[in-house]
Amino acid sequence: MSGLQLTLLAQADSGNAVLWTFLIYMVGVFAIAGLSNRLLQGRSFLSEYFLGSRGLGVWAFALTLAATSSSGGSFMGFPSKIYTHGWSLGLWIGSYMVVPICVMGLLGKRINEVARTADAITIPDVLRDRFRSISFGLISVSLIVFFMTFNLIAQFKGGSTILKTLLGPIDAFTSTAASLPDWIGNLSSEGNEYLVCLVVFGVAVIVYTTYGGFHAVVWTDVMQGIVMVVGVLIMLPLAINQAGAVAKTNKGAGLEQVTRRMAKMVPPRKGTGTIKTVEPGADVTVPSGSWIFLGDGDDQRLFKIKDRSDLTSSEPIQTKTEIWEIVSPDDISQVRQRLESGSEPSNVTGQVTLEIEELRDYAYGAKPEQAGSYVTGPGPEREKADGFLPLSLAISFFFMWAISGTGQPSNMVRLMAFRDTVTLRRSIFTVALYYSAIYFPLVIIFCCARVLMPGMESEPDRIMPQMAIELTSNIGMGWLAGLLIAAPFAAVMSTVDSFLLMISSALVRDIYQRNVNPKAHEKNIKTLTYLITLVAGLGALFGAMNPPEFLQDIIVYTGSGLAACFLAAVVYALYWPRSNAQGCIAAMVSGFSAHLSMYLVGFLQGNGFSPYRLFDMDPIIIGLTTSFVVGYGVTILTPPPPRDLVEKYFYKRSL
Amino acid sequence: MSSKEYTPVSTDNNTGLQPTRVFLNSRREAIVIFGAWFVALCWSVPYCYINGYGQKVDPEALSTIMGIPSWLFGGILLPWIVADLFTIWVCFFYMKDDKLGRAGDEENYDQPAVKMAETEGDAA
Repeated sequence: MSGLQLTLLAQADSGNAVLWTFLIYMVGVFAIAGLSNRLLQGRSFLSEYFLGSRGLGVWAFALTLAATSSSGGSFMGFPSKIYTHGWSLGLWIGSYMVVPICVMGLLGKRINEVARTADAITIPDVLRDRFRSISFGLISVSLIVFFMTFNLIAQFKGGSTILKTLLGPIDAFTSTAASLPDWIGNLSSEGNEYLVCLVVFGVAVIVYTTYGGFHAVVWTDVMQGIVMVVGVLIMLPLAINQAGAVAKTNKGAGLEQVTRRMAKMVPPRKGTGTIKTVEPGADVTVPSGSWIFLGDGDDQRLFKIKDRSDLTSSEPIQTKTEIWEIVSPDDISQVRQRLESGSEPSNVTGQVTLEIEELRDYAYGAKPEQAGSYVTGPGPEREKADGFLPLSLAISFFFMWAISGTGQPSNMVRLMAFRDTVTLRRSIFTVALYYSAIYFPLVIIFCCARVLMPGMESEPDRIMPQMAIELTSNIGMGWLAGLLIAAPFAAVMSTVDSFLLMISSALVRDIYQRNVNPKAHEKNIKTLTYLITLVAGLGALFGAMNPPEFLQDIIVYTGSGLAACFLAAVVYALYWPRSNAQGCIAAMVSGFSAHLSMYLVGFLQGNGFSPYRLFDMDPIIIGLTTSFVVGYGVTILTPPPPRDLVEKYFYKRSL
Repeated sequence: MSSKEYTPVSTDNNTGLQPTRVFLNSRREAIVIFGAWFVALCWSVPYCYINGYGQKVDPEALSTIMGIPSWLFGGILLPWIVADLFTIWVCFFYMKDDKLGRAGDEENYDQPAVKMAETEGDAA
């Protein structure tokens, strides 16, 4: 059996494994939703549905918080960044060393107490009751719905894209998608396969979230959290062993060999070219990711063709195809070995010719004086001459993960749900171990991927599933890829379900029950809750059929924007007795405005959705600073809060 | 200022009021935790910048520890281990167990007994 056949067989095994893992996983999710729905019986419906009756124990609390924070980006975007920029991602993610204790410890105990004192179920509930201000409650609801709606659409697209990546190699999936009638395919601008994945992903999340409520979300988060950490811990030794064996440098062993090989790497060149059939009249298919060698002997050059082309006798030329030139000698040698062994199935050398139209070096990392850019800061970068992670951005990301994470309402609402302070303490410890086991090991795994699989810069989002298939098929256990590939899917699902519940709780609890019909019967509330969760989910699903541009930027914008709005207001509300509604509303609105203005300036400068970076800093720092300063200033310039309100939340009568 | 507006309250003004234990303890703990984040920032970013940025690398002479570039080991992995130890200290030796109260929706729910190391008046 040839190497090519072996590779195709391994990929087929992996494809079946993915399908089985996916089906077993979905059965587990729905079973959890069913059990959670039974918990709703005999308890206060809203408190149980949106807050789990404030009774979360260690595992549930720790893993729901950890899984919600780890969106699809952790398992798709982050690995692709590691692969593209090298070891500097260790600093990029470095503040995760203190994220658990910051996100849970800075506000946890106090927000839980204030929420119980106020009988609050949502964050707007807390703010409204803490300041006895209906307008504050409505402003915070509006901001949550605004940010979460955009984010939910973006996350739906992210989940569907991941599912499409995972199911892509499976024939049953591609043939089903291809057989859809035109009128269905026309519903989405992203194609049939995307549409099938969106419907499968969206309906699954909407159904289990709607039916099971908070407990379903929490316990699926637990399952998803376990899938994530097990996936990483299996991949780590496999990656080090296999990449170390490939690297074979003069010094060291295992990971050291990988790092030394990376030190020799030079970033690839990206460009465009024209491919033509060699023989006139021949039909040639050039699969996406095909390799082609140009020239002979020492002058031979290696290119990767990104997109698929079907060259026929009537159309023998494909113009303007994206190409990547691999320039590191070790990488060229590795690709050659993989082509010989069949690990890289498509070599079109001799079948087509390539005429190069344009080739560009990375803006940082390609020059001789920048040698070793994959093992030093700021890391190679294709567009910016100051590298991937200049000093100002490194500082910004220390704010971004730890401080911005603390300001996320989706995290805050979980802090209202733990049972007692013993649970909080043990959960912080658990999440710290959990993040330690995931984030730095991911950096190591995908640095190893650079050595094992050169040329993935052309499709970096596929690096996670490709690496899982590579590692497991190399040890003859292709079925294991299913488990590893489930991790990113689990990550995005656990984020989407939480956001969905945030939106429905804002609409049902904060708008309807608190403002429209405070005396609504529980049965009506229950019906409305199911309906709103369903409608919000379906709305996001339809929105994601034709998603707007700049989706990844929207996710970043909404995440940092929520922190700029909520962190200062909540910190003042919890820890400053002198704080008042005017000051905290000002903190919220000014944080929103300052953060938004950075994006508007960037837009007006013609940068699309890329923000203007004042003092080279990320907008989150501008937004947070403005929010804290304005909130403080307005508070001390306006009358103090009512004394009885302060006594209720900060003081108790001594015996 | 109306008589109902807030004025600073202390335990020594015969009002019979004192700050809640949770407020005092959580504020004290938040300051320590924020300090830890600040120390991590002040160590990691400058250490990595000074030792690992903008340097031309000789692959054979590259300094590594356990296969990781030494600037990243000293700037991130080592402090990460220290941060985990700090987290253990905070969680099991520093953070107090406090009663968080009971919400109206918890009437039928018995909060597990929390063993209190201190009485209410010993906070902070």
